[in-house]
Amino acid sequence: MSGQKGESSRLDRRRFLKRGLVGGGLLLCAGALPFAFRSTLRRRPRAPLRLLSADEYAVFAAAAARLVPGDGAGPRWPTADALDCGGKVDALLAEVHPDMGSDFRRLLRLFESGLLGAVVAGSPRPFTRASAADQDARLEAWRRSRFDLLRSGYQAIKRLAHASYYSSPEIYALVGYPGPPVVPAVAG
Amino acid sequence: MSGPGHIVDGGDLPELSSIEVDYVVVGSGAGGSVTAAVLAESGAKVAVLEEGGHYTKRDFNMQESWAYPALYQDHGNRATDDLAIMILQGRSVGGGTTVNWTSSFRTPERTLRLWAERHGVRGLDAATLAPHFEAVEKRLDIGAGNPDDVNANNRKLMEGAAKLGWQPELIRRSVKGCARLGYCGLGCPLDAKRSSRTTYLADAVAAGAQVYADCRVKLVETDRGRVRAVTADVLDRGSDRPRARLVAYARRGVVLAAGAINTPALLLRSKAGLDSGLVGRRTFLHPTVPLIAFYDQPIEAFYGAPQSVSVHHFADRGAAAGYFFETAPIHPMLGALAFPGFGDTHRRIVERLPYVQATIALLIDGHGDDTGGSVEVNGDGRVKLHYPMHARLREAAAAALADMARLQLAAGAREVMTLHETPIVIRNEADLAQIAAAPFGPNQHTMFSAHQMGGAAMGEDPGRSVVDSRGRHHAIENLWIADGSIFPTSLGVNPQLSIYAHARLFATEIAKAR
Repeated sequence: MSGQKGESSRLDRRRFLKRGLVGGGLLLCAGALPFAFRSTLRRRPRAPLRLLSADEYAVFAAAAARLVPGDGAGPRWPTADALDCGGKVDALLAEVHPDMGSDFRRLLRLFESGLLGAVVAGSPRPFTRASAADQDARLEAWRRSRFDLLRSGYQAIKRLAHASYYSSPEIYALVGYPGPPVVPAVAG
Repeated sequence: MSGPGHIVDGGDLPELSSIEVDYVVVGSGAGGSVTAAVLAESGAKVAVLEEGGHYTKRDFNMQESWAYPALYQDHGNRATDDLAIMILQGRSVGGGTTVNWTSSFRTPERTLRLWAERHGVRGLDAATLAPHFEAVEKRLDIGAGNPDDVNANNRKLMEGAAKLGWQPELIRRSVKGCARLGYCGLGCPLDAKRSSRTTYLADAVAAGAQVYADCRVKLVETDRGRVRAVTADVLDRGSDRPRARLVAYARRGVVLAAGAINTPALLLRSKAGLDSGLVGRRTFLHPTVPLIAFYDQPIEAFYGAPQSVSVHHFADRGAAAGYFFETAPIHPMLGALAFPGFGDTHRRIVERLPYVQATIALLIDGHGDDTGGSVEVNGDGRVKLHYPMHARLREAAAAALADMARLQLAAGAREVMTLHETPIVIRNEADLAQIAAAPFGPNQHTMFSAHQMGGAAMGEDPGRSVVDSRGRHHAIENLWIADGSIFPTSLGVNPQLSIYAHARLFATEIAKAR
């Protein structure tokens, strides 16, 4: 048992070092990508953005479009744009700790990068300009990556997209949820 | 005493204000509220500072889109630093009790013994705590478990466990006049839940305490071994950005009850009382592993009392980490966050929402050689929670998944689905073998925590603990901690009632010593 524990501990350390090195490298990449948005395909937000730049908004909106029900879902399912997922997430991020907002903006820059797309998923185009199939492949590569940092990045984008989409009353009936019950007014 | 106090909204405070009271209590949840009530009723002048906003039943609209940003830490986005464990932790007047699912347990005697034997806790046995549990149970209307509370989601847990001989138990709940709507986690629109806002905080206010909402305490100011004041940013509720400052001077003392993440973070940020080196260490989460099952008949886990049945058959597994089972309510957003995959793959799970039963395994951390996680604060004051999953917890998670699947199959599930990013579908016992082989690294399986504990452990040895067995800081004589931070390990049961009872004990002794 102690031998196993020792081995596990060594593995954990190796894993940590690997994660640390890869993580550090990726963050450096993100910092060195001032032109990552040079060719970003923009989308028009519904309202003035509070935190995200137009490019960052476009990357998130493009990812959200693929993360929510899509091609096979049928016309009853609204798109992420129809539910303004990008606008809702921008509003939320404007109110969280500024450091969290900065992290997420850096993540979007990384996610848009064609350079990283080529390395991770063999797709050298910026995410916003990739085909739907390539975008799905990029998301899938991050989701299943052996690198902790990429999986974390996927989860950050996925959770915000799904939270903004599935908390919208427009999808309640589609998932078989009748919505909150009517509560009789209670005095006091 | 000069008449009742008030709950003051941050928006009503000037740009710079100061107050002076006998005791400043930081946090208005389970620990802070009962502390404030006991001290105010003893005749002391008390101020409670709460980071979150003041909301009442009129605000609780049962919509996830409103409730998570308004009532939870980090606007519902709190997580471990690698995002592997989502953290559900309350933030409003009432703290965690506003969004608690009402499950009420006394601290297990086995856990109290562990603290005495291995963590140097003294004079804190079941008999000492009993009168405090009794008082809190009475104030929160915690009666016997009620079979009428059991919705379909919980009934499957009960039926499966009973068939396997795992002794399901009815959960005692902190409610009065509960309509079993199913929205405890989003704030009770009936005030049927006995949150601290409707009980101990109301008592504190009636006894003269002032409660300041929207006040995020940034620093504890100490001087020659005593705390003299705390300073708080007064937040604009619309933007959640500082708009003013409040300084609260404490003539007699300060009680920290900001929760097991924010209390250690506050001490770390203040560089106060860190001599032990243990502040922000040994943070425990009851890391929680959900498993979903699909039934042919509707379960509608979004309605009904969220938790009414628990199973503690596996709480004591000897040298291995124990776990216990409960259920989780599944509203669309919470479900969507938990379900793996994206796009149409994800949609095909979400579309079956009414037929989903969710059982959760809460892993009992800190009872073996696993040392939990850590809380840190970066240069900008942001709280970071790091929680590596120890090998014994990964083993427990795999064992718990297999046991939950057995339970759900015994209860008649058509199929069971793990929430690995590559889900395993289980239809019979033979399928269970896949679980042990599946990856369980960060973000390879859905995990969350609604129980944050530790980070400022109690004990009598200043070298091994932060506060003594009555919550008093070892190095700062007029500073106490009265929240889940003080637990040397996880509890092995839902912690809210234990936090209330320990805080009541501590506050009673503070009041006696005046």
